Amino acid sequence: MSLISSQNKRTLIMVFITLLVVFEMIAYVATTPRPREQFFQLYVLGSKRMAADYYPNNDTDISRGETVSWYLGATNSMGNIQFAEVRVKLGNQTINPPNDQLALPSPAPLVTEFKRFTQDNETWEFPFVWRLTNVRFANNSAQILEFEINDETFQVVDCSARSGYNFRLIFELWTWDTGMGAFQFGWVTGGDHRVAWLQIWFNATQAR
Amino acid sequence: MRSSRKILILTIAVLLILVAAHSNNSAYLRADEIQPGFNQAIMQVRLAESAGATQSEITELLTTLNKALELNEQALKLTSPNDVQRRAELLTQVNVMLNDVQTRASALQTVASQRTRTNTVLAYVYGGLAAAVGTFAYAFLLAFYRRYRIKRTFQMKVTAK
Repeated sequence: MSLISSQNKRTLIMVFITLLVVFEMIAYVATTPRPREQFFQLYVLGSKRMAADYYPNNDTDISRGETVSWYLGATNSMGNIQFAEVRVKLGNQTINPPNDQLALPSPAPLVTEFKRFTQDNETWEFPFVWRLTNVRFANNSAQILEFEINDETFQVVDCSARSGYNFRLIFELWTWDTGMGAFQFGWVTGGDHRVAWLQIWFNATQAR
Repeated sequence: MRSSRKILILTIAVLLILVAAHSNNSAYLRADEIQPGFNQAIMQVRLAESAGATQSEITELLTTLNKALELNEQALKLTSPNDVQRRAELLTQVNVMLNDVQTRASALQTVASQRTRTNTVLAYVYGGLAAAVGTFAYAFLLAFYRRYRIKRTFQMKVTAK
């Protein structure tokens, strides 16, 4: 006499096949990487590492030698390592900002740049302490000639504003394109070119 | 005749200005150059990453890459003729580090892809085993339930109404 009847055998085979399909699907889901949105975040924080207190005494008028303390940060959510660069540019009211639609960087003069290799899900944050070290005031116009950023001096070419009003620091995120072997403004994901940039306005004033 | 000479001189002047402008631009690019080895290193690390290398394994490579980047930037800042030797030393050091990263990333890629393949095969094998265990458990519970029902049937008391 058989221990298991033929009907029970059929039931057990059906149960085994069902469970096999279920568990193999679980194994497939567990071992297959899921597609995810690829993006970068770029941010600037104030002196207390919050989205506030961007200017000393909350006054947008910055005089020569006055220290302004910010934190710059970029988060890599691209799903792989990235060689990222933050370019700092000095603009005035008339100069064009970066173009989001055409993914074009601002033509404003470059002050400096910060580079770093970042891992997936890594946030790269660093202090950005700056002051104006040389500003020329003449004919109702102010021209910033020199910046000090993180204890390093940078010359600026050709950026002036009427009465020193409405200067801006533009921060652009660039990423390394391995195909081109060069930095590109923003990043490419799913065939789309995306960009991330920020700007903070200030006025350059004569020493108070 | 004189006007054609003027045009010729003007054309040569324009060409010279263009060449000078181009060489200035190239010089700027050279000064800001990233060592070509960085590109290879990034690609190799990405291959290791996509092969399934863990975060901590990648962190080790990134630390070396960032150190190499720092040295590369230091080297680019040395522009005076007195610093030529120091600059060359730094750039050599950068290249050694980049080669090291590439070698390690390549080895990591092999290990990680083998590990990923093993893990995938194991996941499917465990899936089959779980299905077999589940079927045995089902058969056991079914048999237990049937025995219980038979026992309960024999325990029935027949009472006249």
